[in-house]
Amino acid sequence: MLEIKNLHARVDDRDVLNGIDLSISAGEVHAIMGPNGSGKSTLAYVLAGRDGYEVTEGSIHYQGNDLLDLAIEERAREGIFLAFQYPVEIPGVAGTTFLRTAVNSLRKHRGEKEFDAMQFVKYVREKQSELNITDDMLRRPVNVGFSGGEKKRNEILQMALLEPKFAVLDETDSGLDIDALKTVADGVNTLRDPNRSMLVITHYQRLLDYIVPDFVHVLAHGRIVKSGGKELALELEKEGYGALTGTQAA
Amino acid sequence: MQGKAENSRNFTQCDSLLIGDKCGAHTVPYIEVKNRSAKVEHEATTSKISDDQMMYCQQRGMSAEEAVALIVNGFCKEVLQELPMEFAVEAQKLVGISLEGSVG
Repeated sequence: MLEIKNLHARVDDRDVLNGIDLSISAGEVHAIMGPNGSGKSTLAYVLAGRDGYEVTEGSIHYQGNDLLDLAIEERAREGIFLAFQYPVEIPGVAGTTFLRTAVNSLRKHRGEKEFDAMQFVKYVREKQSELNITDDMLRRPVNVGFSGGEKKRNEILQMALLEPKFAVLDETDSGLDIDALKTVADGVNTLRDPNRSMLVITHYQRLLDYIVPDFVHVLAHGRIVKSGGKELALELEKEGYGALTGTQAA
Repeated sequence: MQGKAENSRNFTQCDSLLIGDKCGAHTVPYIEVKNRSAKVEHEATTSKISDDQMMYCQQRGMSAEEAVALIVNGFCKEVLQELPMEFAVEAQKLVGISLEGSVG
């Protein structure tokens, strides 16, 4: 599904990723853990194709094709989804309008008929109750005045509606209390599918109690310094990152 | 405000949205008041379509044009909603036309 080889990337003239190798097969959930500044979010943005994140060496292949050839919206249409660490506010644009525009962009790309407003409401209704998304949240402007929990639930709703093949969740647990964390994790778990892979980025082991990954990788100084099964996360929680990254735990 | 407009009120709001980095906005408020009891307020803001907003929309599969149209329509909606139906439809079209070719 996704094959990253010797990936180097720079942001603002600073080398952030220094040779990442990572292979993710269909249906697998991989977790990336690491301290602040290790390059986790940079990896997420490089995969999504954000401007200003320059790949200087290495390659990313997605479903056999060169991902780096594709523009950000083309990647999205091919099934790449990024749940943002900081979801962006769009004043004046109602949630439903935003979601319908996004879903229809993908349907158009797949040669399917676009949803009209009525069909779309039906489509959303099936998904929104699981994630505890009220009609009111969909009427309000996108992310404007949303609480931390609402923003993250809204990200997962978008994921449910856009049905990606490869989803990157960038610190989806940040800013969530335990209840909200469970709701979000449940939402993610119902989206686990043999044809869908996920890359879950987090600081804390806690999220991985709820979203249990197949593999865990530790990122430090822009490299993967250790990989293992889900038990690696528990080990980290106990020992801290210091032992692996060669820096003292704060 | 006319001289006979006793205790009248006025609120003028003037918001600008910048698209791209080669533009600016100068808003010059001009209000003529001929009655001392009138209350007059004026407000102006300038905002910009941010890279973050563009990226957010494009990551969800929208083209740059679709993203700008969506954001601009959101910005104008409050005003367009107040217009009578026949104007609203026309204004909506105008917004669409003026955006063609503005990105890319």
